[in-house]
Amino acid sequence: MKAFITILFFLPLFLYSQPFKEPFAEYKLKCGKYGGRLIIPTTSDPKSFNPILAKETSTTQITSLLFEGLTRINPQTQKVEPNLAQSWQTEDNLVWIFHLRKGVRWSDGKEFTSDDVVFTFNDLIYNPDIPTSSRDIFTIEGKKIKVEKIDKYTVKFILPSPFAPFLRALTQEILPKHKYYSKVINKEFSFSMGLDSNPQDIVGCGPYRLKKYIPGERVILERNSFYWKKDTCGRRLPYLEEIVFAILPNQDTILLKFLDRELDYMPLRVEDLAILGKREKDDFTIYNAGVSWGSTFIVLNQNNQVNPYTKKYFVPLYKQKWFGNKKFRQAISFAIDRKKIIDIVFSKLGKPQYSPLSSANKLYYNSQVKEYPYNPKKAKKILESLGFKDRDNDGILEDSGGHKLEINFFTNADNKERVSIAVLIKKDLEKIGIKINFLPLDFNNLVTKLTSTFEWEMILIGLTGGIEPYFGKNVWSYKGTLHMWNPTGKPQHTWEEEIEDIFNQAAKILDEKKRKELFFRWQEIVSENLPMIYLVSPYTLYAVRDKFGNLYPTTLGGPFSEIEYIYIKK
Amino acid sequence: MRKIILKRLIVSFPLLLGMTFITFLFIQIAPGDFLDTLKLNPQVSPQVINFYKEKFHLDKPVVIQYFSWLKSILKLDWGYSFTYKAPVIKVITLHAFNTLILSLSTIVFSWLFVFPLGIICVRYKERFIDKTITFFSYIFISFPTFLLAIFLLYLATFIDFLPLGGMRSLNFDELSKIGKIFDILKHLIIPTLVLSLGSIAYLVRILRANLFEVLSSPFMNALKARGLPKRKILFHALKNSLNPMITIFGYQLSGLLSGAALTEIICSWPGLGQVMLGAVRSQDLYLVMASVFIGGLLLILGNLVADILLAWVDPRIRYERF
Repeated sequence: MKAFITILFFLPLFLYSQPFKEPFAEYKLKCGKYGGRLIIPTTSDPKSFNPILAKETSTTQITSLLFEGLTRINPQTQKVEPNLAQSWQTEDNLVWIFHLRKGVRWSDGKEFTSDDVVFTFNDLIYNPDIPTSSRDIFTIEGKKIKVEKIDKYTVKFILPSPFAPFLRALTQEILPKHKYYSKVINKEFSFSMGLDSNPQDIVGCGPYRLKKYIPGERVILERNSFYWKKDTCGRRLPYLEEIVFAILPNQDTILLKFLDRELDYMPLRVEDLAILGKREKDDFTIYNAGVSWGSTFIVLNQNNQVNPYTKKYFVPLYKQKWFGNKKFRQAISFAIDRKKIIDIVFSKLGKPQYSPLSSANKLYYNSQVKEYPYNPKKAKKILESLGFKDRDNDGILEDSGGHKLEINFFTNADNKERVSIAVLIKKDLEKIGIKINFLPLDFNNLVTKLTSTFEWEMILIGLTGGIEPYFGKNVWSYKGTLHMWNPTGKPQHTWEEEIEDIFNQAAKILDEKKRKELFFRWQEIVSENLPMIYLVSPYTLYAVRDKFGNLYPTTLGGPFSEIEYIYIKK
Repeated sequence: MRKIILKRLIVSFPLLLGMTFITFLFIQIAPGDFLDTLKLNPQVSPQVINFYKEKFHLDKPVVIQYFSWLKSILKLDWGYSFTYKAPVIKVITLHAFNTLILSLSTIVFSWLFVFPLGIICVRYKERFIDKTITFFSYIFISFPTFLLAIFLLYLATFIDFLPLGGMRSLNFDELSKIGKIFDILKHLIIPTLVLSLGSIAYLVRILRANLFEVLSSPFMNALKARGLPKRKILFHALKNSLNPMITIFGYQLSGLLSGAALTEIICSWPGLGQVMLGAVRSQDLYLVMASVFIGGLLLILGNLVADILLAWVDPRIRYERF
């Protein structure tokens, strides 16, 4: 019963009063106690312990505890803060001087110096033999950043041109030169720090270090006793002695183990609420950390080119006319009942989304964008004004040329949520007289259609998101490879050029206020023209045992954001 | 005998070749490749995608890719796993041992029960105990293993002694040697039960049918007429109904490394199943190829072992010319 009350109590509170709105009002890190173990489930093995090579979540959730960067993102404020670099200065936004923190030690006890920073950039990230996507982030207009050592604790970065997301990109993990330089010389680095490494060979500056990895079972991290950060009482962090990632591929097993108190935390699926809510003796709380960072949307193919193989248009000419019309896309957006999607697919745990940015983004989210509340009548009226009419009384609209308003609709079959959303959308659109041929496809098949064969009409898909909108340039620049609705590389609308302009400016302007204005404008353009029709953002729910102190879950940092401060209350 | 084995091994080469080529072809024909997940990441540029494509040789024609794979496999180089950024052989050896433990324990456990149960069925034909065994056999044959796994795990939440999946307890390192073995055995109980209940049920059905068939054949009457004790008659009947069982045993050997995937995933047993499933789903080419190759090799070896066993048990087969 108590659990049930907890949920009843927390859900409305967390859903509607937004407890993380003002983090510092209640957010205070206390001095904690040492010792204890935290057991976290993860659905798959890490793929490597190499933060330069492997970037997917099963790996980064572990490497992010082992390695640190020059800067960090505060999970509460989402702003950039000094980390391994204590301070920095720049006069022209091109030459940046970074002053490193003194006395920082690697997990093997050696000192952290500017050599390590220079090594990470010049020998790893810019090394053409090493496959890393970090190189992309630090390549500005096709040019590298020059990284030079000034003295033991000072590093100079010379940028080829101003680059606004620079400080945010510097969360890039730094690796120790003394440990990996020989690997680079022998061209072994691309194979090093793999899963079969000796734990002593994984050396970082993070709060934890690798203790043991048992394939398919668990990854055990232990406290890094050399970690540089201290709490307000002047004692060395972190508090927790061990962090165990239990590898449990099946979500139902995770639920059983959580109920059996073998796990300290579990990410909640909507269907778990029914079971967790019924527990009588409980010692856990369900947290709602707010909406997630990713986004789900439908996109209509506006490709106006001819397929070089079949010599036919990718999209028939009359359909190009529909999809290319902003009014048509707006009608579709009005016809979608987002509230029903939230109620049915997410058990009421979500919010409609109209901006390309998730409202989790505190820095750039524009809450004033154009919204499309459910209004099938209005949608129908818009379609009528575009010349659509049911001419043969079969319940399906036809355009002025007599073509039936029929759209092929794809999404990836392995994602249950997307399939259920797509089914609801199909019903909504059929209600206003659009015939939808819905076909769930294999993920790879869908991506192939989207990025290389271009044979599709309407797709429901999602993208991950982050704080810095500029990192989505591949989607928004008409030259980008993920410019899904128009992959021709040429703009079709004036607003596409305006977005291009905004993104180019946003890269160069460092003034935060101006950047905010730019990205606000971008969100307005997107919500007005709807190249992508955004749907809903679900809330992120975490169930965590009540024994932890300094627990401030965020969607950015996860349930245990600022894990070095987490301790076990006695 | 040696000739037969040699012949079998030679024949298996084109078989393996064909099998691997078809698999290779199918993975490549399937839409998309390993890089699709990267392609949908807004932060990854086309340059990086192309870099990977070249690095993994995904830009070459399929046939050339296949032959370069074949060439390296002959040198016992299994290739590179895209997902794990490590040689395939390392990924496999990390997990193969665990799967082997589970498969072997399943085989031992199920064969331990099959013969006693089969004999009981024959002894008490159409009586209550035979009917009960038959009843449960049908239930376990028709029960999907994944459901059985979840069901048993759920039951285990009520029994403190039984762990909820996994292979080793958290305090495994602190245990003594005997404690360690005991710990693993404890964790083996549920996955072994899940895997063997269905196979025991199936095998008992087959053994029972075969025993009845043999027992009703004329030479049994001859044995009875000679006044042989019941026990001895049963022994002869058993020996004569072994043939199909041995063939099935051969097939079981082929599933040593791949037969337990679903159960492994649900019981979080750290085996190969999950790795291989992930490989197929993400089109991690060389990892998939390795798993198909190993599976095929085991199938051929399993059949060979079955044939040898058959020849050993049944003189008719031994003296037949191939």
